[in-house]
Amino acid sequence: MPLNPLEVVRLIEDNMKRYGFPFPIPADAIYSWAKPLGLPARGSPMLYTGALYQLMPYIASIVESLAKIEGSSVSVMALRVSRFLPGFLTGLVVKPRGEFQVYSESILRSIVKLLKTSGVNVAYPYEGDLYSGVLLYDLGLDELFREQALKVYKALKERGATTVITVDPHTTHILRSIYPRYIDGFDLEVKSYLEVLAESGFKPGYSIHRDVVIHDPCLYARFENIVDQPRNLLASIGVKYLEPRRTRRMTYCCGGPIEGLAPKMAKAIASSRLKELVEKSKSIVTLCPICYSNLKAVAGDDIEIIDIALLLSGEKS
Amino acid sequence: MTLKLDSLRALDEIYKALDDNILQAALSRASYNNQVKVTEILASRPEIASLAIEVREIKRRSIMKLEELIDQAISSLKAAKANPYYASSVEDARSIIGRIVGSNKLVILSKSMAAAELDLRSYLESQGNEVWETDLGEFLIQLEGVKPMHTIAPAVHMTREKALILLKGKLKIDVKEDTIESIANTAREFLRSKIIRADIGITGANALAADTGTIVTVENESNIRLVSSIPPVTIAIVPIDKIVPTLLDAVKVAIIQAAYAGLYPPTYINIVTGPSSTADIEQTRVYGAQGPKELHVILLDNGRLNAKSNPLLGEQLYCIRCGRCSFECPVWVHTANYWGGPVYGGPMGIIWTAITIDPIEAGKLAYLCLQCGRCDESCPVGIRLSYILRYLKTIAISGSMSKL
Ligand code: SF4
Repeated sequence: MPLNPLEVVRLIEDNMKRYGFPFPIPADAIYSWAKPLGLPARGSPMLYTGALYQLMPYIASIVESLAKIEGSSVSVMALRVSRFLPGFLTGLVVKPRGEFQVYSESILRSIVKLLKTSGVNVAYPYEGDLYSGVLLYDLGLDELFREQALKVYKALKERGATTVITVDPHTTHILRSIYPRYIDGFDLEVKSYLEVLAESGFKPGYSIHRDVVIHDPCLYARFENIVDQPRNLLASIGVKYLEPRRTRRMTYCCGGPIEGLAPKMAKAIASSRLKELVEKSKSIVTLCPICYSNLKAVAGDDIEIIDIALLLSGEKS
Repeated sequence: MTLKLDSLRALDEIYKALDDNILQAALSRASYNNQVKVTEILASRPEIASLAIEVREIKRRSIMKLEELIDQAISSLKAAKANPYYASSVEDARSIIGRIVGSNKLVILSKSMAAAELDLRSYLESQGNEVWETDLGEFLIQLEGVKPMHTIAPAVHMTREKALILLKGKLKIDVKEDTIESIANTAREFLRSKIIRADIGITGANALAADTGTIVTVENESNIRLVSSIPPVTIAIVPIDKIVPTLLDAVKVAIIQAAYAGLYPPTYINIVTGPSSTADIEQTRVYGAQGPKELHVILLDNGRLNAKSNPLLGEQLYCIRCGRCSFECPVWVHTANYWGGPVYGGPMGIIWTAITIDPIEAGKLAYLCLQCGRCDESCPVGIRLSYILRYLKTIAISGSMSKL
């Protein structure tokens, strides 16, 4: 049966109000990765993750549960008046996928390392690394989104940020292009770490000779004009990137944005995209944790999906 | 008999579509072919992309002064000896058309989404008329009894096997060979016999010129030509968003619609200004030469003027129905028009459903939108479809349209 989208939206709204995150996640799971790095808690530029990389292991696990409900044979028509679905979901214990969590944290540490190598020393807000509200905006929960955006803005300003460095396309887009519409006088400069690296003349002094196919995330490519930077960065360490049939500004979605609302459809879309990518190479570079998670979910063991930060930092070569 | 959308029922159908392997294969082939064709057209003819920018401007200006253009179009139509009518709602349009057609008539239709908005075929049949679709795809889905599956390719889900079964089963006609050609021939013979005897022909329009009252349509099959010229009485249903200032503007719209639909050059562009006439005897004009004697033009509002007052929904009125946003949409390619509403489908379809039927139910379906923006990037007239779809979600979740 298809999930009733409004019920899933209500669940997310409920979680947000209760936990400050769209899914229950322990607060320190957001910033524990940064502890060993000893980054200052105040200053600028400020690295802001918006919690997306950290949330993905939890989202991947909740999507599995949603997919199970979706896969059951009860008709959505029979459930239309009942509150069965949210009740059932609220009771779910969300366990993160362990290996995924380790992976996400290593990506974030790589990003700090890459910035450092390029002479950019960042501050990090720790408990102030709040959820950006991306999902609230995408789901049309405008009031809740506005409140969250104000909280984030305040947290970053209080800690002395003037420039904010983001790590994923969704957070980059929401902060740079959407926050200013909801926050009067918004004056933070927002840049993706890929833009910062490209501008800083990234020269790590090692090369990685291999072929990969690049999967542009929709928001970087179509909404934030971040298309050439990742390519130049890959080329600068000797990685040969191949272009899939639909690429750059006309890149094709991984299906991720509806993974919680229609898991089956999301998988179908991911499979179409994966097929097209694999025609070029079995090593796929992603620039977004949602793309990573969705393509990974439909990829066989013979296909490697690598986050660009790990490739650039030489941790996966 | 008014058309409704029940979003949960629609979701059930969408999920059935996901499991239909034949449909999935057909959709992926159609969208691939369309993407390749449009890319080729745009790459080999740079003038098309610049003309699209001009059309975007034409549409923007037209919608801005829509009320004025409607009045102008009505006087121009009268001057051209056509009979214009303004229909605010589906009910209005049906009763106007019902009065013109009457009963016990043979009526032929050429594919028109506006007619689908009125569910016109069933309505006219319920009034005791015999009604036939003359576009091959639309004719096949008439036999099948489903809704159009794409704006320009209504039978995008059709296979030759299915078409053969429909012709044999529903019409009891034997098709000589099981080739697509032979299917097309059989349909042609059958429809010819209807077209020749038809009392009334009903078409849609790609554009209507306010300055001359000219109706412009673009097509490949030549059925619109026949439907608009053979029967003694013809009716054109023109949604008011299709009115543009001049005849030249109207032709530009038709060319861009065809190019972005992947059909360039189009086989036919039809230009119709009033009923046919002759002044060959004594230089005295009489109406009804080889073409129709009467031309009735229904200007269909059905929620459009209301949408105009909303800055986001109003943007959809620029739409020229090329259907490219659907072919480029990662969701549509798995759902066809099951995702959208009883008439329209795909990214533009959800918004048209919101305008013409029900914004809240349409908003619930908008939740399947990825916000990936491929539609925005593809639209020749620059409609921010994904942005409007997100707005529809806010309507669905808050249950009201007041906020913007
Ligand atoms: S919204 Fe744009 S792309 Fe979609 S059918 Fe209308 S004009 Fe074509």
